[in-house]
Amino acid sequence: MEAPPDNDVLWARSLHYAHDGTPALAGVSVGVREGEILAVTGPRASGKTTLLQCLAGQLTPQSGEVWFNSSPVHTMGPLARERLRRDRFGWIDTEPQLVPELTAWENAALPLLLRGSPHRAAKTAAMEWLERLDVGDCARKRPAALLQSQRQRIAIARALASDPSVLFADEPSAPLHRADRAHVLRTLTTAARSHTITVVLATHDEEVAALADRTIALVDGRRVGSLAAAEKEGQAECSLSV
Amino acid sequence: MLALRLARGTHPIVLLRRLMVAAASAGVGFLLLCTLGHALGHPEAAGGSAARLLWCLVPLAAAMQLAVAVARTDPATRPQPGLSSVGLGPVGLALLAAASTAVSAAVGSALALFSFLYLRGDLGGEPFGGSVADVLGAGQPLPYAGVLTLLFVVPALTGAAVAVALRPRKPRPDNAKSPDPQKPVAAAGQPSAAHTTVSTGLPWGVALTAAGIALGTYASRTASSPSDGLLPLPGRLDTIPAGVVGGWVLIAIGLVLACPGLTHLCGRLLASGRPGALRLLAGRVLQEEAVRLGRPLGVLCAVASAALAASQLYGTALDSTGARLFGPLTGVGAAVVMACATATVLTVALETKGARIDTTAALGRIGVSSGLLRKAAALRAGVLVAVLAPMSWAVAELASLPLSR
Repeated sequence: MEAPPDNDVLWARSLHYAHDGTPALAGVSVGVREGEILAVTGPRASGKTTLLQCLAGQLTPQSGEVWFNSSPVHTMGPLARERLRRDRFGWIDTEPQLVPELTAWENAALPLLLRGSPHRAAKTAAMEWLERLDVGDCARKRPAALLQSQRQRIAIARALASDPSVLFADEPSAPLHRADRAHVLRTLTTAARSHTITVVLATHDEEVAALADRTIALVDGRRVGSLAAAEKEGQAECSLSV
Repeated sequence: MLALRLARGTHPIVLLRRLMVAAASAGVGFLLLCTLGHALGHPEAAGGSAARLLWCLVPLAAAMQLAVAVARTDPATRPQPGLSSVGLGPVGLALLAAASTAVSAAVGSALALFSFLYLRGDLGGEPFGGSVADVLGAGQPLPYAGVLTLLFVVPALTGAAVAVALRPRKPRPDNAKSPDPQKPVAAAGQPSAAHTTVSTGLPWGVALTAAGIALGTYASRTASSPSDGLLPLPGRLDTIPAGVVGGWVLIAIGLVLACPGLTHLCGRLLASGRPGALRLLAGRVLQEEAVRLGRPLGVLCAVASAALAASQLYGTALDSTGARLFGPLTGVGAAVVMACATATVLTVALETKGARIDTTAALGRIGVSSGLLRKAAALRAGVLVAVLAPMSWAVAELASLPLSR
């Protein structure tokens, strides 16, 4: 078994995954360097979310390898992967999936509390991040009383407050309006750069991808050189089948 | 027909829940038929038969509550993209749920009729040496119209209850899901509807329970105490003072009203101080689910109190008169009510779990272990038992105190 390159914090080789038989990933290899922001672009159903879930240890690839800091994620048991997700990874969903019963600051402090940090320290860290993301005044409200953009910022604060090594963001700006979208992405990328957090960002938006250091493109579960080339290929197939 | 087609492809657990509805309906139908049998066998005791019919309302209400809880949990009654794209919207789904509930209840009714006829000996043979047949009015010709009417009652009422409970309501501005995700659901603070119910329910519930206990005590003191048995269930409702029965009804209503508030208080207690993740998750979820979970829990508490009180009263009164106060039919009725109340609480607990499935998945993505979630659920259950069990016991003691003196 070949050891992963040293400068890559997260590294995957020839990942294959199928959701109940429907192929989602077909041999994707990718390396993420320490501290960089990597954008994964592609249209819907191109396997972006599945790739992120495989990298984050939420799904076990049916074949292929995932390495994080020279430890194999693909062979870990469920408990070890849970601990890895809790202690080293952050995750931001497309929709802000907050716990509806908890207030904003409790939501943001939840990962820290889960790690067993003391209540006061967790609250301080959570409040700090909420202030930094301009949602400090919503700290005592519940998610149901907030705007979608505020909720998404709280989800980002939750992911950042636990100071993860790698942050996975699955189209974090998709459900937002344009102004909110730009703001959310700017705060996310700025925070990641200032705290040297590695970010893997899935998006189908070319503008969003421009904020990243590096971009890889997926089409139909495969890595392609550029989206335009892949689309041409698809068109040729269409015209043949008519 | 669609209800039957959908039932064919459903998960065994869902079918098991519908089977519970069928069993409850069978129990209630059997009790109704037994009342008919009693009326046929004892035409002179019309008042007693009417009282028995009145007592049948309790299991009937329990069965209806169970049917509604099961229909709420049923995956077939949730808005489904597959059915809404063929034009079966919320109204259609409510009617579909009512139809499938009525079908389950009708199966139960058929079962009740079969066992009734068998025990009467109408199907040939003498089960239990004819000892039960006497209670059921054996030998008398059955009025078929009456039998059909009684058997029709349970499916019709449960179906109607489900249709009413699941009817699409206009989204209220304060607690419904906002159609536009960009807008907040409530302008400030909390989704208020749940919290006002909780905060107003508790004092009302406590007041009603206290009033019920006081009324029962007062009525039992002033009324001339009947010498033979205190509350001969069923059939001799007239021998206990109406005030005592009224007090018990008040206590039951009070418990149902108070339990959501108590559940909310339990949740607040759990999450008080400086909670860690476990207590925070357990307590806040309990606070949020207080209304949904509290009412069936209140019913269960009321039933448990009634059972405790009855066993205390009749445990001593059984042999003094020589008459069997706890007849087999009373036993069937009590079993139906208790089973329905317990099953309703379990079904509602399942419903809450189903409603939180998205949140649970999201928690899993940020690394919350399933063990922690299980621990939180166990903690919630433990706190609820620790608070509600002594309360039910205390209410039962207080309610039976004046009668057992």
